[in-house]
Amino acid sequence: MSTSLRNYLLDKAPFLTACVMLVAILATYASLQRGVFSIDELNLVTGSAMTLILVATGQTIVILRGGIDLSVGGMVSLGTVIAATQFGTDPVNIVLWSSAILLLGFLIGAANGVMINSLQLQPFLVTLATWSVLSGVAMIILPTDGGSVPDWWIGFGYSELLGLAGPVWMMIALIGFWFWFKSTRLGTTIRATGSSEKSAFLSGVSIMRVDIAAYGLSGFFAAAGALYLTTQTGGGSPIIGKDYILPSVAAAVIGGVSLFGGRGGLMGTVVGAFILILIGSLVFALRISSHWQPVLSGMILLVAVLTSSLTEKTAKGQAQ
Amino acid sequence: MNGFLVRNRAVLLAYGAVVLLLLVTAAFSPGFLSAANIRATLVLAAFVGIVALGQTFVIIGAGIDLSIPWVLNTAAILMTMLCASENLPLLWVMPLMLALGGGIGLFNGVGVAYFGVPAIIMTLATNVMLQGLILVFTGGSPTPLAPDAIRFLAVGQLGQVPVIVVIWAVLGVAATVLLSKMSFGRHLYALGGNETVAEFSGVPTRRTKILTYVGSGMTAAFAGMLMTGYSGQAYLGMGDPYLFTSVAAAAIGGASILGGTGHYVGTVAGALVLTILTGLLPALNLSSGALQVVYGAVILITVALSSDGVSATWAALFGRRKTQGAK
Amino acid sequence: MDLIEVSGLTKRYGGIVALEQASFSARAGEVHALIGENGAGKSTFIQILAGAVAHDGGDVLFDGAHYNPANPDDAETTGVTAVFQELSLIPDLTVEENIWFRREPRRWWGAADRRELRRKTLDLFEKYEFPPIQADRDVRRLTLAEQQIVEIAKGLAKSTRVLILDEATSALPAKETEWLLKLTRKLAEEGLLVIFISHRMGEVRSIADRMTIFRNGSTVATHVTDEVSDDEIVAQMIGRQMDRLYPERHDTTTGRIALKVSNLECGSRLRGVGFELREGEVLGVGGLQGHGHRELFQSLFGASRSTGEVELWGRAARFNSPNQALSGRDGIALVPEDRGGQGLLNSMSVRENLTLSVQRRMTWCGLVDSKREAALVREMVDLLSIKVETPEQEAGTLSGGNQQKVVFGKMLLTEARVLLLYDPTRGVDVGTKSEIFQLMRDLAAQGYAILFHSSDMPELVHVCDRVMVLRAGHVAALLDRSAISEEAILRAAVLEKDT
Repeated sequence: MSTSLRNYLLDKAPFLTACVMLVAILATYASLQRGVFSIDELNLVTGSAMTLILVATGQTIVILRGGIDLSVGGMVSLGTVIAATQFGTDPVNIVLWSSAILLLGFLIGAANGVMINSLQLQPFLVTLATWSVLSGVAMIILPTDGGSVPDWWIGFGYSELLGLAGPVWMMIALIGFWFWFKSTRLGTTIRATGSSEKSAFLSGVSIMRVDIAAYGLSGFFAAAGALYLTTQTGGGSPIIGKDYILPSVAAAVIGGVSLFGGRGGLMGTVVGAFILILIGSLVFALRISSHWQPVLSGMILLVAVLTSSLTEKTAKGQAQ
Repeated sequence: MNGFLVRNRAVLLAYGAVVLLLLVTAAFSPGFLSAANIRATLVLAAFVGIVALGQTFVIIGAGIDLSIPWVLNTAAILMTMLCASENLPLLWVMPLMLALGGGIGLFNGVGVAYFGVPAIIMTLATNVMLQGLILVFTGGSPTPLAPDAIRFLAVGQLGQVPVIVVIWAVLGVAATVLLSKMSFGRHLYALGGNETVAEFSGVPTRRTKILTYVGSGMTAAFAGMLMTGYSGQAYLGMGDPYLFTSVAAAAIGGASILGGTGHYVGTVAGALVLTILTGLLPALNLSSGALQVVYGAVILITVALSSDGVSATWAALFGRRKTQGAK
Repeated sequence: MDLIEVSGLTKRYGGIVALEQASFSARAGEVHALIGENGAGKSTFIQILAGAVAHDGGDVLFDGAHYNPANPDDAETTGVTAVFQELSLIPDLTVEENIWFRREPRRWWGAADRRELRRKTLDLFEKYEFPPIQADRDVRRLTLAEQQIVEIAKGLAKSTRVLILDEATSALPAKETEWLLKLTRKLAEEGLLVIFISHRMGEVRSIADRMTIFRNGSTVATHVTDEVSDDEIVAQMIGRQMDRLYPERHDTTTGRIALKVSNLECGSRLRGVGFELREGEVLGVGGLQGHGHRELFQSLFGASRSTGEVELWGRAARFNSPNQALSGRDGIALVPEDRGGQGLLNSMSVRENLTLSVQRRMTWCGLVDSKREAALVREMVDLLSIKVETPEQEAGTLSGGNQQKVVFGKMLLTEARVLLLYDPTRGVDVGTKSEIFQLMRDLAAQGYAILFHSSDMPELVHVCDRVMVLRAGHVAALLDRSAISEEAILRAAVLEKDT
C-alpha cells in the first residue's frame, strides 16, 4: 500500500470505522425489515435524529475547540419550555420568540465561553454548573411537562418538498453550512485553537473570541435543537434536555471527533447520531428487549474510541 | 499544615460555605438546627460523601468516573435480589457486590490506563452498558425489600449518632490517611499533577490510575447497598442524581478536573454544602428548580474563587509568594 | 538611521531577572547575529521584539518610532516576524493552511480559496527554493526538520521588514542548513534585517555582518564579524567564569563494569549500540542532535521500548518502566532533559518532589514516616545546597538551577549507582553548572558510574573520562581521555567514516 494512501486511511480511520458500523447496522436492519432503503424511512429516521444532530453540531464545534459543553442539556430544556409557554398562536409572535430563544442560546453559550476563558476554569465544571442553572430555570418556568405549540408548527416534521421531509432538508442545509463554516476564518481558527492553543495564540489568535464563538454556537445549536424538539413533542419539558448531553458527546466521538480537540468534523457526528438512533430501530426490529439499546450504544462507543486511540498510536509510531 | 491550606485553599472556602449556610439557615428557620434535623442532614450528606469519595480519588488522578450511577444501581439491585430480604446472605453478598464494583472499576481503569481511552468516554460507555444490562436482567420488575441489617446501617443509630455517619467518618479518616500519609497519596497527586513527571519518577502510574477507578467502583457499590436500606428497596435510576452530586461535591471541595489538586477533606465540605442547600430551600419555600439554580451558582462561585485567576489574592492573604513563569 | 534601536531593555519574571539594561541596534539589509550561552537573555530579547512578551523597562525604537507591540499580531503588522525555536505550528492543519494561517486567500462568501492557497504556497516554495514538502499534509505527520522548514515558510509568507530566526538551523540536516544560510543572505541583500540566533560559530561567521553578544541577561558588545576573533567572542560570552567552571579531574575508574550494553536498538533511531561503563567513571555521550541520544537514555531507563542486552553490575537488567529502573542501589536513575515536562512537579513542594521516587525508603506498610522523610530531605538540601526558604516551598518557584538540583536530589535519593544525566545543565546558571560538575566528579569518586550527555561540547571535553560519539544510531567513536577534544568529537559526529 502506498504511504500516502496509508496515511490517508490512518487519518480517516475513526470516521471510516463509523461509516462501516453505520453500513453494518443498516444492512442488519434491512435484512430484518422491508423498506429500510426508502425515502419514507429516510424521512422518518432523520426526523427522529434531528434534535440530536442539531445539539451534537454545537457539541462538535466545542469539542473541536478542545472543550466540552454539558450545558446543552439545560439549554434544550429551557428552549422547549420557553417555546411551549410563550408561542401562543400568532405567527409573528412565534417568529419573534424563536429568534429570542436562538439569541438566548448564543448568549448563554457565550457566557460559558467568557467564564471559561477569563477565569481559566475547566469547561467541564463551568458547563456542569450552567446546566444545573438552566434546568433549574426551565423547571421554574414550567415545573412539569406541558405547554403547547400550534399544530402547523408540529406539522414541520411532516412537511414535504420534492418528496423529502423538512428535517431532511434541514440536515442538508446543516451539512452545507458545515462545509462553508469549516473553511471560514472562524472555523479554521476554532479547529486550530483546539489542536494547539499555544501555537494558535503565538500565531495571533484571540483565544477569548474563539471561546465565545465556539460555546456561543454550541448554545445556539442547542436552542435550535430545542425548537425542533417542540415540533416533535408538541410541548415543553424541563427535564428532556439531559437525554441529549452525553449522547451529543457520544455522537461526535463515534463519528471520529477527537476529545483532545482539532480533529474531526460534522459529517462524522451526523454518522454517529444516525448510528445512535438506528440502534433503537434495530433493537426493535430484532424483537429483543429495548433495554439492549444502551448496551449496544456503549459497545459501539468503545469500539469507536478504541479505533481512534489505536490508529493514533500507529501513526505516531510511524512518524518516529 | 499551613502548606496544606495554602495549596488547598478551596478546602477552607468550602468549609466557609458550610458555616455561612448554617448561619443563613439559623436565621431563616430556627427549627432547622434541631438535633433531629442535623442528624437527617448528616445521613443524606453521608450518602453523597461516600459516593464522592471514589470520585474525588479519580479526579485527583486527572480522570473522571461517569459510571458511578449505574454501578451504584447495579450493586443495590443485585444485593436486594440475592438477599431476598434475609440478613444472613449479606455476609457474602456485600463482599461480592464490593468486588463487583471493584471489577467494573478495573474495567474502566484498564481501558483508560492501557488503551488510552479518554476517561469521560470509557466510563460513559460503561455506565450505559450497565444500565442496559440491568434493565434487561430485571425487566423492570420490582425487587425485594432491603434486609434489616442494611436498614440498620443506613438509618439506625448508635446512641445519638446515626450509624451511617460513623461509617462515613471511618471512611473519611481512611481516605485522609491514604491521601496525606501514605505513598499511594503521593503517587496519586504526582500522577494528577503531571503524568510524564510521575512516570519518570518511577511512580507506578498505570497501577495508581487503575486503583482509583477500582476504589470509585467500590464506594459506589457500597453506597448503593446502603441506599436500599434508606429507601427500603432498590429502584431503577436511584443512582442518577449521584453523578452530578459526586462531581459537584469534589469540585466545591477544591478538586480540579485537571487533576493534582483537591482533598477528601474538601469533598466532605462539598457534600455538606449540597445537602444543607437541599434541606434549606424547601424551608425557604423555594422550588426544586430554584435549588438547581442555586446548585449551579454555588459550583460556579466556589470554582471561580479557587481558580488561578483569583489565587493571587489568596496567596497574598497567606503571605506566600508565587512567581510568574512557575506554571 | 538604524531600523531597530534598543536601550536599557529590562524584563523580570517574579524575582528573576531575565534581561537587564540590554542595548542593541541593527540596520536594514544586514544579518545580525545574537550569540550567548543558554539563559543569557537572547530568547527573552527576541520574544520582546516579537511581541510575545512585554518588557518592564527600557525603550525600543522601530524606524525611529516607539515600538511596544501588544501581541505577536501587532508586531507583525509593524513588520517584525519571528520564527521561534519553539514551533508555533498547528498540528492538525495542513502545511499550506499553516503557512497562510489567518491570512488565507478568501472568496467573497468567506470560505478559503483552496486553489489560490495552493498556488501561493507553490509560488513561495519556488521563489525561495524550498526543499520539497507536500503542501497538503497535516503538520503533525512531518518530521521535526520539515516542521522547522514550514515554520520558516510561514515567516516568509508575511511581508516583513525584520525576520528573527531563533536557532532555526538546530533541527535541520546539513543540506537544508546550507539552503537556509544562503536564503538568509539573499533576504538581507533584498533589504530585510535578519536577526539570526545560532550556537554554531561557523554559521554565524559565514553569514552575519555583525553580532551582538549576550551574557547573564545583558548585552556585552556588538562587533563587525570580520573584525573580531573567536577567542575574543568566547571570552566575552563566558566572562570571567571560565577558570572556575570545570572541576579538577582525577581518574577514579575501577575495573568493575557497572553497565554493559550490547546491540541496543530502538526504532530507527538507535541501531545496535554497545558500550561499557565502569565504576567511578564519567562516560560522555556526544554527537549532533537527533542521532539517538534521547533514545539511548530513555531505553536504558525503561521509558522507551527497545531490544538488546543490558547488564547492570554483571546481572541482566531489562527495564520496562522507570518504576523498575528506580529499584534501589542496583537500579539506574535518569535526570531527564525536560525539567518542566519530565523532571519536576511545579505545583508540589520541594519535599514532595525530592521524596517522590523513594517512597519505600520512608514508608512503613505504606504509611509515611515524616521524621524519616524530613531527614532524607535535609540530607539532599544540604548535600546539594539547594536554596529554599523551607522544604514546603513550591518547586516551581525556585530558580532554574535550584529546580535542577531538586531533580538531581530526587534521583540521588534512590541510591541508584548508575546515573544517566541528559543535558543536566540546560537552562542552569553558571554557578550551578560548576556545582553540578563538581558533584559529578565527587559521585564518580564514591563509586557511582555516570553516563552524561550534553549538547554543549566543552562540557564533555572538560568533565568526562571518556566520550562516546553517536552518529545515526551507531557508536561512531569512543574517545579516551587523551583523545578527547571538541574537534575529535565533532569529526566523529559529522564525518561518514568511523575513526
